Amino acid sequence: MSRSGSWLRGTVIRKGGNSTSSTRTGTPQIQSTSSTVFGGGVKDASGRVSEYSSMDDTCPVCKSDRYLNPKLRLLVSACYHKMCESCIDRLFTLGPAPCPVCAKILRKLAFTPQTFEDLGVEKEVAIRRRIAKEFNKRKEDFPDLRSYNDYLEMVEDIAFNLINDIDIPETEARIAAYRQENAALIELNVQREEQYQKYLKEQEDAERQEREQRALELRRFEEEEREEREKDRRELIDKLETSDKDASKLVARSRAEALRRATARTSSSTVASSRLQRSRTAQSVVVADVPHVPIQDDWYTYDDMFVLGDSYDDPASEAVRRDRDGIMRAGGYRVEEAWERALRSAVAGLEIMPPQGLSSDDASLANGQDVPMASG
Amino acid sequence: MDAVEKANTDRQKRWAKDQKIGEGTYAVVYRGREIATGRKVAIKKIKVGQFKDGLDMSAIREVKYLRELKHANVIELLDVFSTKQNLNLVLEFLDTDLELVIRDRSLVFLPTDIKSWMAMTFRGLEFCHRNFILHRDLKPNNLLIAANGQLKLADFGLARDFADPGYKMTCQVITRWYRPPELLFGCRYYSTAVDIWSVGCIFAELMLRTPYLPGETDMDQLKTIFRALGTPTEEEWPGHTKLPDYVPLGNFPKTPLRDLFSAASPECISLLTKCLIYEPRRRISARDALKHPYFMTGAYPTHPSKLPKPASKASSNLPLEELDGNAEPNGNGPGVKANAPNKLKRKLSSDDVNGGSRSIARKLDFTQHRQP
Repeated sequence: MSRSGSWLRGTVIRKGGNSTSSTRTGTPQIQSTSSTVFGGGVKDASGRVSEYSSMDDTCPVCKSDRYLNPKLRLLVSACYHKMCESCIDRLFTLGPAPCPVCAKILRKLAFTPQTFEDLGVEKEVAIRRRIAKEFNKRKEDFPDLRSYNDYLEMVEDIAFNLINDIDIPETEARIAAYRQENAALIELNVQREEQYQKYLKEQEDAERQEREQRALELRRFEEEEREEREKDRRELIDKLETSDKDASKLVARSRAEALRRATARTSSSTVASSRLQRSRTAQSVVVADVPHVPIQDDWYTYDDMFVLGDSYDDPASEAVRRDRDGIMRAGGYRVEEAWERALRSAVAGLEIMPPQGLSSDDASLANGQDVPMASG
Repeated sequence: MDAVEKANTDRQKRWAKDQKIGEGTYAVVYRGREIATGRKVAIKKIKVGQFKDGLDMSAIREVKYLRELKHANVIELLDVFSTKQNLNLVLEFLDTDLELVIRDRSLVFLPTDIKSWMAMTFRGLEFCHRNFILHRDLKPNNLLIAANGQLKLADFGLARDFADPGYKMTCQVITRWYRPPELLFGCRYYSTAVDIWSVGCIFAELMLRTPYLPGETDMDQLKTIFRALGTPTEEEWPGHTKLPDYVPLGNFPKTPLRDLFSAASPECISLLTKCLIYEPRRRISARDALKHPYFMTGAYPTHPSKLPKPASKASSNLPLEELDGNAEPNGNGPGVKANAPNKLKRKLSSDDVNGGSRSIARKLDFTQHRQP
């Protein structure tokens, strides 16, 4: 077999680490030698991680290559250095340890499968993904095009800095500041996106259902038609057998009848489809928002028939008024409220005519106008 | 006596009880309907038999206050009757509550939606306060939502009328996350301001989609409040150090609410700030809140019928953990968490114990892997 084509090969790997079994001989099968399940990597549409591997893979740490170890699988660290699974096991099983290349402290679980041949691309994709999660403002969120463009420029700036390791701490601080400032909006946009996806899905579902319905109906029609034709034919033969009328007349009549039935069927199917149309328009009836009315009854439209005094000779509230420690004041208790209640209870209903009869309507009206409770 | 029993059976006959829909500590709730009209109702059957000393306090409170209150934003008590050992309250049937709405992550709230819910809450609360009733258990869970979108205050099991001077009230009311600091400090004389604090917390929760001040214990609740809003000073809240259960809790700095609610309008922040003022006397009243510019400026509140609602019972009952499962706040690049790290570590170390030394270098075997 030719080796020239197989030096670069994207192999699809399931998340469990087991490769899709390739039956071709000579193709190195990537089988995880580690007990750890490495997550991450870029997923394709079907949710699987397609992993990059090549015949010329060599672990930069232990110099082991695919010839020595056919199960060699290189993973990428958080600092974007490659090493093989056995090296990762060896170095990081006992906890976080420095990267053998750049001495950054790494953890075993932070290793991810490699998706792209170029690690620079790998890094850029990861960073842009991370950025897009938070910088998800839309054009509608800005007053004008200019500020939207400024915003895009800023996002691009941040992404560029992160990708090229320029002013990392300062850039991270910028991101954190942005995140704090826009927490609510970010959340809202995430939800919006979800909502939109849901809406698309619903739309799709509805369309699919409709299609299925139509197909089902069509099949039913055909079935019916076939049965009817069969029946007609049998009837015609019966008639021709038993009747003594003119044969050509009988045939003509049965044909006319079949035609009539067919037209009736098509008209009924259009009725069904128009019903579907109508139910859809009914859903989108618009109700206008109404302005805010603070209190939706007429409680405050008349004047109270009393004036609350500054002080009353009230032995019961002595303690409250004397409240030297301010316990009641600090709790928000106001003796004026108790006084007001007593007065209101005393005068309430003075100006209202007693309700006629005892129908529930009258009672509720009285409730709305009147102070409903006796004091105490 | 006979006439009373007759009246009771007459009332009982008006309502039909269907299936059970929920159970609380002191009551079972059934779905029911009015026989004459077929109107849906909820029937709350209060378990009397279990209590040795008569009827449960909250049942009495619920009947006492709901009988008096009739308002578009307060749940309506339609009837009360007794069966054998039990007391039955016939209430309006309401589909869902604000907590389910907040927790349903598939729903997106517009600022006008929040405005609409707040307006309805304040209207209901203003009506209670106007009639000298404190609700004392406001939380999203107790703000029920009718089929037409109207929000209604419910669960008056902890409600009471304002105290006459000299009567102490209990401070062990209101669900902890929504409890104002004066109650946490053990204050026995308080007023309508306690409900306003709860509404403020609900307001914040509507914007954050997560409880604003989730304390774990009463003490932790105070700390959570102070961490969010700063420790109150004597000028800000005169006399609070003299409250019965006052304890100094360290000094937390003040952070402006704008930092957390960055997407909110200035009027919105202004109203929220006024609901969460430490000194109860300066806290905004329900009546003033309804006249606050927040409700008057900008877009109108959403019409109740257009407010977002959970699609179905099944989807809204999903636990939160399942909805936002493997979110990775700041991981390196894309990835899903395969396993909890500590779980994995434990597994590996036990391997070491069992299997002795792990082989690091593998034996090389050339016979199998030679290329054909």
